[in-house]
Amino acid sequence: MIPTVDPLFVGDVLDLLTSPGDVSSVLIEGFAKASLYLMIASGLTLIFGLMDVINFAHGAFTMYGAYIAAGLMLGLVTASMGWATVMLVFLFVLVVVFALLAALGTIFEVTLVRKLYEYPPIYQILLTFGITITMEQFMRMIVEFRDINNGQWNLDWASPRRQTLPSELGDSELLFVEFTNLQLFEILLGVLTAVGIWAFLNRTRYGLFVRAGVEDEEMAKALGINVQRTFTVVFAVGSGIAGAAGVVLMWDPLWSVSVPLALDVLLPAFVIVIVGGLGSFKGTVVASLLVGMIDALGTWAFTTGVIEFTGLEELMIFSILVVMLILQPRGLFGVEGQGDHG
Amino acid sequence: MTLLDVSDIHTYYGESHILEGVSLEIDEGEVVALLGRNGVGKTTTMRSILQLTPPVEGTITFDGEELVGKDTYEVAEAGIGWIPEERRMFTRLSVEENIRAAVPDSQRVPEALETAYETFPILKERSDQRAGDLSGGQQQMLAIARGLVGDNDLLLVDEPSEGLAPQIVTDVGRALMDAAEEIPILLVEQKLGLALDLADRFYVMDHGQIIDEGETSAVSTDDERLRRYLSA
Repeated sequence: MIPTVDPLFVGDVLDLLTSPGDVSSVLIEGFAKASLYLMIASGLTLIFGLMDVINFAHGAFTMYGAYIAAGLMLGLVTASMGWATVMLVFLFVLVVVFALLAALGTIFEVTLVRKLYEYPPIYQILLTFGITITMEQFMRMIVEFRDINNGQWNLDWASPRRQTLPSELGDSELLFVEFTNLQLFEILLGVLTAVGIWAFLNRTRYGLFVRAGVEDEEMAKALGINVQRTFTVVFAVGSGIAGAAGVVLMWDPLWSVSVPLALDVLLPAFVIVIVGGLGSFKGTVVASLLVGMIDALGTWAFTTGVIEFTGLEELMIFSILVVMLILQPRGLFGVEGQGDHG
Repeated sequence: MTLLDVSDIHTYYGESHILEGVSLEIDEGEVVALLGRNGVGKTTTMRSILQLTPPVEGTITFDGEELVGKDTYEVAEAGIGWIPEERRMFTRLSVEENIRAAVPDSQRVPEALETAYETFPILKERSDQRAGDLSGGQQQMLAIARGLVGDNDLLLVDEPSEGLAPQIVTDVGRALMDAAEEIPILLVEQKLGLALDLADRFYVMDHGQIIDEGETSAVSTDDERLRRYLSA
C-alpha cells in the first residue's frame, strides 16, 4: 500500500488552523510546556550561560528536587485537605526544596567546582558528570534497595501526582478554550520564574555584579567586586531553581518522579540554553517558548494520528538544535566570545 | 608620608621574568609618572600592585598594609582604583550600571552618580546607553568616573590618552588634573608632555627595572635623560 502520510499531514494541519479550539489548546499546552522547559533550563543558563561551567549534575539536582518534594508532599498532604491547603503545602515544599538544593549547590561550588574554573571545560564535565552518576546511584539505592514503595515508609512513591494533586483542580473553559488548571498553574510558575530571574539579574546589586563579572572578571575584581562569592551565589540560585523545577515536574503527567528524570531533564535543558544563546537569559525564555510550542504541536500531531509514529517529540526538539547549530551556531541571542575575557 | 611602597618586586608571566626588582614610592598628594617604552613592564607593575599578576618576591605596602597575597577585590576595597589601558568598559552594561558597579558598599549610589555626572555631564545624557556604544573619549571619561566614585585613596591610570583625538586628550588631561587635587595618581602615559604636565615626580623603566627617577620640574620633553629611554 502506498503511504499517504504527507497529504494527510498537510490536510490535518490545515484542519487545525481552521479550528480555533484546537489552535488554542495547542497554544495553551505550548505555553505550559514552555514554562516547564524554562524552569528546567533557567538554572543551567545561569550556571552554564553566565559562568561557563558545564554543569552535568543539573538534571540530578532536578531529580533530587522531585524526590524530596514527593516525600514531603506524601508526608504532609492528607486526603481531607482542600485544594487550597494542598496548594499552600506545595508552595511551602517549593521553598524548602529551593533552599535545600541551593545549599547543596553551594557545597559543590565551594568544595569542588571552584577549583576547576581555570582548567579546560573537560575537567568540569568530568567532575559534574561524576557528581551526577554518584547522585543517581545514591538515589537508586534508596528507591530500589530500600524498597520504599512497600517497605517501612509505606508511601506510594510511584505516583506522588496521583496522591497529592488535588482532583478538584480540574479543568476550566474560557470562551471556547479548554485547559486544565494544572496547565494554568504551570504557566503562572513559568512567568514567575522568568520575572524573578530577570529581576535578580537586572534589578539587584548582585545581578549587576554577576553581569559585570561575566563580561570582564579582572575589571570587576579591580572595582572591588568579590567575583568568587558572586559566582557561588549564582551557582546556589541555579541549583535551587533546578530543584524547584523538580517540584513542578512531580505533578506533571508527562514527567513525574523517577531516577532517569535526571537525564530526561538535562538534554532539553542543554538544547534550550544552546538554542537561546549562551549568556542570554532572554534567549533562554524565547528558546523555551519555541521548544514548548514545537513540542506541543508535535505531540498534537503524533497523538491525533496525523503522523503514525510515536515517541518522536524528542526528535523534533533535537532537530531544532541541529537546525540552529547549522544556521546560527551562537544561538538566537548569543554573544560572541562569551566567557572569553582573556 | 609614604602611601604606596613597592619594594623590590619580581613578577613573572609564566616563565618570563617581567619585573626584575622594581621599587617605587608614592606619597600622599602626589602624581607620579611611570615612563618607558612599550613592553618594559609599566602595565605589569600596575597589575602587580593590584594582585592581578601577583609578584613572586618583594613587598607592596599601601597605607601600612601589605597587599601581596590579597585578592584583587581586597586591594580595591583597600582604596586603590584602576583606570586601565583600553578602558575595559562592561560594554553590555549601561553607562549608569558601569558606574554603579564601581560604587563600594560603604558609599551611597545616588551621590556617587551625582559626582560622576558633575564631572562628565555627557555621561548623564548617555546614562541609559550601552557603554559599548560610547565613543573612545566617552569611554575614557566613564573609566575615569568609575575611578572617582570608588572612594579611592590612589588611582592607577594606564595610558589615558591612547587612541584619543587631540581635543579629547585635553579634556581627559583636565579631568585627571582635577582628580589629582584630591587623589594621588600613579600614571603611565606615552605622551611625555602630558605626563610631565600632570606629574610631580617620575620614574623611568627599562627591561623590568627602574633606571632613573626625579622631579618633573627638573626635566623637559626633549631632555636626553628621558629621550633615550622613550624613543624606540
